Amino acid sequence: MTMQMFLFRELLGAIRTKSATYFSLAGVLLFLFLASVACFFMISPSSVARSTEGQPIEEIHVFLSPRLSSATIDEWFLSWREREDIASLQFQFAQQFDENASGGVFILSPTDPAMAASLASEFRDIEGVTEVIEVPRELAIETPSVSLIIRISLLATLVATIAASLFCFRRGFHELLASFSGEIRMLRLSGIAERVVSTLVVALGVLMGLLSGLFLLAGLYLFHQIALANAEAFSLLGGLLNGLRILSVGMTVLALGTVLGSLAGLLGASFLHGREFDALP
Amino acid sequence: MIQVSELHFSTEDGVKVLEDIHLRVDQGELLVIVGPAACGKSLLLGLLGAQIPPQCGQILVHGRNVARLGPGKILALRQRIGVYPQGFVPLPRTVHENVTFKLRALGNYREQAQEKVLYALETTGLIRQQGADAQELSSVDRIRLGISLAICHDPLLLLLDEPFEGLAEDEKAEVARLLSRMHTGHLTLVVATRGPVPPGLKESRRVRLADGMVKGA
Repeated sequence: MTMQMFLFRELLGAIRTKSATYFSLAGVLLFLFLASVACFFMISPSSVARSTEGQPIEEIHVFLSPRLSSATIDEWFLSWREREDIASLQFQFAQQFDENASGGVFILSPTDPAMAASLASEFRDIEGVTEVIEVPRELAIETPSVSLIIRISLLATLVATIAASLFCFRRGFHELLASFSGEIRMLRLSGIAERVVSTLVVALGVLMGLLSGLFLLAGLYLFHQIALANAEAFSLLGGLLNGLRILSVGMTVLALGTVLGSLAGLLGASFLHGREFDALP
Repeated sequence: MIQVSELHFSTEDGVKVLEDIHLRVDQGELLVIVGPAACGKSLLLGLLGAQIPPQCGQILVHGRNVARLGPGKILALRQRIGVYPQGFVPLPRTVHENVTFKLRALGNYREQAQEKVLYALETTGLIRQQGADAQELSSVDRIRLGISLAICHDPLLLLLDEPFEGLAEDEKAEVARLLSRMHTGHLTLVVATRGPVPPGLKESRRVRLADGMVKGA
């Protein structure tokens, strides 16, 4: 066993109940921080769009050319309202959807969602119709707002967890170094380089960051497998269905965890400048 | 072995603690520095042991000027010096583990360290208490342990700061006899004490440190 390994083992051996509690909390909070970061990547707009694929179409938006006369629009409205394959029909101005748009929009619900595709296709062929969009109503209306709430919550979680994690790391290192102060004084008195002692503390931080990242990587893989088996339940976290995204996000959080762990270690190493660790009284 | 010349040291507030110190310690010598409390004995030992960088003046240890040594060479020099610090407090481990920790930290392998631990404890007469909790040792045994730690890596120079502090007269004499026994061969000892010097100490020379100056060097 090398000298560094011996000293690292001794440092780990100096972890007492109080410091272990703080370090466990710091690890869990760092894990939550990394999980929040990972969630950000999982609920990207593209993943939401993909998640709507295969959903029953509950609304069809038929955009009309602004050049259509109001008489034609009235005529279409009245005739479409009578159709049995259309359950409901509304007219709105296109500006309500897009400020730069002009003309009107018919929002209609098919009686049978399975027939929506053929209905949409029929409308596309009508002259004067500029665009037809098939919208799964609930997702199209609710997902962006839910996603926004989730993003804001995640942001708050990110700030709270990283702050709490740093606090716990700080307390943990403080407790640990207090119980290892005799050894540190002896090392200094014996002519052991300052960087050897600092490296041990930083290595502990790196180890904790790495462990948090690895646990999260395993968690992501597990959720990926669950999501693959049950895609509907993970419609908001569509990114979980994408293996490549899981891998890249996993590697990112692993690297982030390691970096944050080493920063926490550097914070711990900064305590070594305290007078309580001076070799001579 | 040690050559100190024109050494000055002041505190951050500008209070002069050491003034124009000239001191020579030859190899194999047992030098006793006697002086009242807070006269700068510990500071002088700290400077001799390369624990505190000198502000002004010259300290030659083994012919090397401590002030001009780089960080790596300072560490190497410290590793050749054994220090017993004032008010030594052992680690909360057994006697054996205390000495083992230092030796392993200095890069000794387990077997190598084991051999040196036994030799150091044998020398200081602590071999029977090697399994004892170091923090429950008697005052004199604590000092023996401190000395064991100072000598375990076979240093050329041993600096002892108040090794008789807090001991009864017979215990002081016991430690003095131990130091005298150790003072054989190549080992150089510098002992700083408030005094009086116990009768059993076979010192080579005694100097007095007072008002920041060495008298009788």
